Amino acid sequence: MAADGGSSSLQLPCVFSPKSRQFLALCAQDGRLRIWNTDSKTLHQEYVPSAHLSATCTCIAWGPCRTVKEGPQRKKRKSEAVQVEEKADLLAMGTAAGTVLIYSTAKGALHCTLDGAHSGGVNCVQWHPEESLLYSGSDDTNIVEWDLQTGKTRSKWKADRAAVTSLCVSPDGKLLLSAGHIIKMWDLDTKEVYRKFTGHSTAVTTLRFATTRPPDSNGLYFLSGAAHDRLLSVWQVREDGKDKNSVVSFTLTDEPQHIDLVTSNSKEEAVRLAVVCKDGQLHLFEHFLNGPCKKPLSPSCTVQMSDTKESPMPIPLLAAVLGADTRTVMLAYGSHLQPVMEKVEINTAERHVCLTRDVQTTLSLSMETTVSKVKTPIVNAKSKVLVPGLPGHQAPLKGTSQGSEKRKKDTDTKEMSIAERLGEIDLSTISEKGASKGTASLQTDNFAVLLVQGLESNDASILNKVFQTRKDMVIKKTVARLPLSAVLPLVEELTKRLQGHPFTAALMVRWLKAVLMHHTSYLASLPDLVTQLGVLYHMIESRVKMFHKLTKLHGKLYLLMTQMATSDSSKMVSDVDHTAKLVYEDESSDEDEASGDEGLPDEDSDHWEEDEAVEEAMTEDNQEESEDEDPDSRTESKANGEEDMEHENESEEE
Amino acid sequence: MASFKPTKIQVYPKLGEKVTQDTLYWKNYKAPVQIKEFGAVTSIDFSPVTPHNFAVTAFTRIHIYGPFSQEPVKSFTRFKDTAYCGRFRSDGQLLVAGCEDSVVRLFDVSGKVALRLFKGHTKAVHLTDFTSDRYQILTGSDDYTCRLWDIPNATELTTYREHTDYIRCGVTSKLNRDLFITGSYDHTVKLFDARVEKSVITMDHGQPVESVLLYPSEGLLVSAGGRHVKVWDLLKGGQPLVSLKNHHKTVTSLALSSNGQRLLSASLDRHVKVYSTTNYKVVHNFDYAASILSLALAPDDESIVVGMTNSILSIKHRKNQEDSKEIAGQQRRRPSYRVFVKGKNYVPKQDDYLVSKPVKEHLAKYDKQLRRFNVSKALDTALETWIRFRKPEITMAVIKELDRRGTLKNALAGRDERGLSQLLNFLIGNFVDARFTPVLVTAAEMILDIYQSIIGQSPLVDRQLLRLQDLVEKEIDYQKELLEVLGMLDTMFASSLPRKEVPCSGIGKSNGLTQGEPSTSKPQLQVT
Repeated sequence: MAADGGSSSLQLPCVFSPKSRQFLALCAQDGRLRIWNTDSKTLHQEYVPSAHLSATCTCIAWGPCRTVKEGPQRKKRKSEAVQVEEKADLLAMGTAAGTVLIYSTAKGALHCTLDGAHSGGVNCVQWHPEESLLYSGSDDTNIVEWDLQTGKTRSKWKADRAAVTSLCVSPDGKLLLSAGHIIKMWDLDTKEVYRKFTGHSTAVTTLRFATTRPPDSNGLYFLSGAAHDRLLSVWQVREDGKDKNSVVSFTLTDEPQHIDLVTSNSKEEAVRLAVVCKDGQLHLFEHFLNGPCKKPLSPSCTVQMSDTKESPMPIPLLAAVLGADTRTVMLAYGSHLQPVMEKVEINTAERHVCLTRDVQTTLSLSMETTVSKVKTPIVNAKSKVLVPGLPGHQAPLKGTSQGSEKRKKDTDTKEMSIAERLGEIDLSTISEKGASKGTASLQTDNFAVLLVQGLESNDASILNKVFQTRKDMVIKKTVARLPLSAVLPLVEELTKRLQGHPFTAALMVRWLKAVLMHHTSYLASLPDLVTQLGVLYHMIESRVKMFHKLTKLHGKLYLLMTQMATSDSSKMVSDVDHTAKLVYEDESSDEDEASGDEGLPDEDSDHWEEDEAVEEAMTEDNQEESEDEDPDSRTESKANGEEDMEHENESEEE
Repeated sequence: MASFKPTKIQVYPKLGEKVTQDTLYWKNYKAPVQIKEFGAVTSIDFSPVTPHNFAVTAFTRIHIYGPFSQEPVKSFTRFKDTAYCGRFRSDGQLLVAGCEDSVVRLFDVSGKVALRLFKGHTKAVHLTDFTSDRYQILTGSDDYTCRLWDIPNATELTTYREHTDYIRCGVTSKLNRDLFITGSYDHTVKLFDARVEKSVITMDHGQPVESVLLYPSEGLLVSAGGRHVKVWDLLKGGQPLVSLKNHHKTVTSLALSSNGQRLLSASLDRHVKVYSTTNYKVVHNFDYAASILSLALAPDDESIVVGMTNSILSIKHRKNQEDSKEIAGQQRRRPSYRVFVKGKNYVPKQDDYLVSKPVKEHLAKYDKQLRRFNVSKALDTALETWIRFRKPEITMAVIKELDRRGTLKNALAGRDERGLSQLLNFLIGNFVDARFTPVLVTAAEMILDIYQSIIGQSPLVDRQLLRLQDLVEKEIDYQKELLEVLGMLDTMFASSLPRKEVPCSGIGKSNGLTQGEPSTSKPQLQVT
């Protein structure tokens, strides 16, 4: 059932056990094999290969289900013979060192090691469906047929000029597909090439038979997927040999990572296909394999998963297998270190399904019931764990109590760019309130370094980022840590920025104050202090000149606006209150009118002659204005009428 | 009749950076042409002969671009692995390039297949160059050696094993065929003389050296490595002259602008800095989108070519003065110069009787209105959208003029909702500009006086007034803070009083607002 097991080391092997789907075998970045129970969703077994650091597991394949007593190669286990029929037991693991490990889940231990045949890393392993044979393809371009009863190689042949990246045995056990440069179909009895197929330009990572072989062998189909390729191609093996091109292709969003399919036995039955892509999406296809189809087929349903946070992040799906009926799908998602298994009903009528899961809680649940047998070394924050696989990937195993943090940790360990780091700092400075001072000082240290860098290279983006800090603590510490040589450039930069809008400039003042406070002695000791800071001084002085007038203006505005607000609110309350006031105002209405008349000549008194025309225009304007305002504000002005009068009264009183 | 004086538009100094000759010069380039290469662009070299094609080394290819083409005129693709350092010979006929597979290849610029292969290095070759006699090649490699090769026989002449780390850059002398300089990751720059079989001068740069550059006079050497750019005096035996630190990441490439007056450095921090070579101050700064690996200037600064890590090649061509003139001429044919000057340059002779004709004044729209005393309309024209946003100085000048005449109130009054909101918008937009504040404060007060009766009638105006209030509040808070800073500065100036008496007292006098300060500063004085 090795759906993947391709040569690309980016893919981590992840396979469900056949038939009952009871187990999920996973080889994570740390080189350990973990077998998860899909029913209880707990860790069933963990196995650490002795050479798990040097020779990572590249591929896994579950042995065919059978009654346990059947094979003589399982002699040893007869004593502890399991009575359950059809239980998946053996796991074959290919390693990068060229060995094949057979692991028994029933024993919970290594069954045997097959080695000596490959000189390069094993790329794929496949079980023969009936006999106790195992096929492995390797980087050394050979395919080896292992006899599991003896543990020896039965035959070995050169398959291709390039590394064998994928294998697949036909359901009837007569044919073997191999992929190197080209896809070859071998007759397993004679070990001769039966057919050749060309089409992929990159390494083929996936090969699967899509149909059981019918009597007229025109109906034999298989499908293939390649690295960096967003298509799954379906090939037809035809009697007449006219099978140069793929007949159908399925489009994906990314390179296939795990595929599962329900084969069809007849032309009338559709092939169901579930493909998990590298981008973590699941695509479901349903197609009748009955000859060529020109257009690439798009999925009948696409499933994505995201978490329940405010800004949902996608949760990558790792593997998916189709259930017995058309709607249920078993999914594995989350991280490789701690996948979550779930049986989901999917409404295939919709083309796009998005599931939301709270991974944090599910994670902690599963961690509570961790098998006690498994010992995980507790890694403290300081030590670095080196793991095989990708450089830069780290997978420290935390103690169980910190299990819920593991997800975060995984994402954090990646290299961060400066911008990201800054973003991180911003977030944490805002969110942290009572956080320890140690971390705060660390951050400001970063800020000081960044600030110096930004000043040195005059990089606007860095400076903007630093100057946008609002937290006083950070500003103070940053300035305190600033080397003396950077102080004057900082003051210069601040001077430039102080001239702007008060919204931004207000932030700059805090920086300036911090600089003046922390570096007083240094600045005072400068012999040319006055010339250095003169520009700044004059700039501030000229700006501050208007302080009195501005304050007055503000007072005026404030009064007017509060009056308006109170009138608004009083309007909101009710009309009953106003009746009393109205009575009072009616008495003084004459004065009001008089004052209105007085106002006009006042304005015009200065320029009698020249303003005649203007006056006319103005009166016209006024009329227009009133007309303009009429339709929309008549109701308002009626309602406001009283309050406005009130205003005028008050202003007069002043 | 006294003639009408047009409103004087006050010219305010521009805030922010100063415009110098250099900024004008370096800004006089067209928008960059960007070409996507196959991989990170590690080297760019201009051909020394016209038409000054340039070779761009990126990934496994070397492309040669013409001065104006955006398609490569020629490409060399016969590399087994990543190519490095494609350089032209001084006659522009041959091109040499190193490669990750340790083989050095020599190409004819017109051919396709390598003319010679130089095998002998055991690791990637990052440095290749021709000596000035054109018959030898200098190479430097990751196997710590640098070698001289004979071109006709393709044989190795000498090997130097003095460096203790990768050799990543170097340059040959253009004046002397035996001299060459290599820079290495062992932090040193070495000057070799082929006649004495070993290095003559060793300079310690302090960081892995990424690039070296010789001045045309070859008396000065520039090396770049880490965040530093250092200048060395070779004639004084490798004495360090200047150390520049104006980047915040590794400096990767150096170039001289053709007259030798400016030095350019490119860095991984995405900047290109231009230094004056007289005082080594940064005179200009270019920003690019990605980390820069290579930089080259065409002769006479006709174009600036920059190669980046994201495999983009950016070419900036200098704006051609004649070009722009031609285009303008095509757009609109103006009457020739003679038409305008006709008769104007006639100098009256002694006996001539001069009849003066009044020169017709051209007045701006707002001035025309002002002349007719249409104050309101004058303000309206000054508040036209274009002027309001592009040239607030004009609007300001008109408001000022109105204020001087005492008719500002009339001009402001009598506006409908739209006109008032336009006015308020202008206020809000320019209120905090320190140059405009004094005038605008009076204007704002007048507006409030005039329109206070209608406040509350129009939600639009109310909203704008609220915004104005908010803005004023912010400004006041800000100025309060500034006043505090002013106090601090006063104290500080006062404390440095004993040394600098004269300027400080001058400032003390000019400072009318902060009278309380000197008294607080005096005790400090006694303490210090």
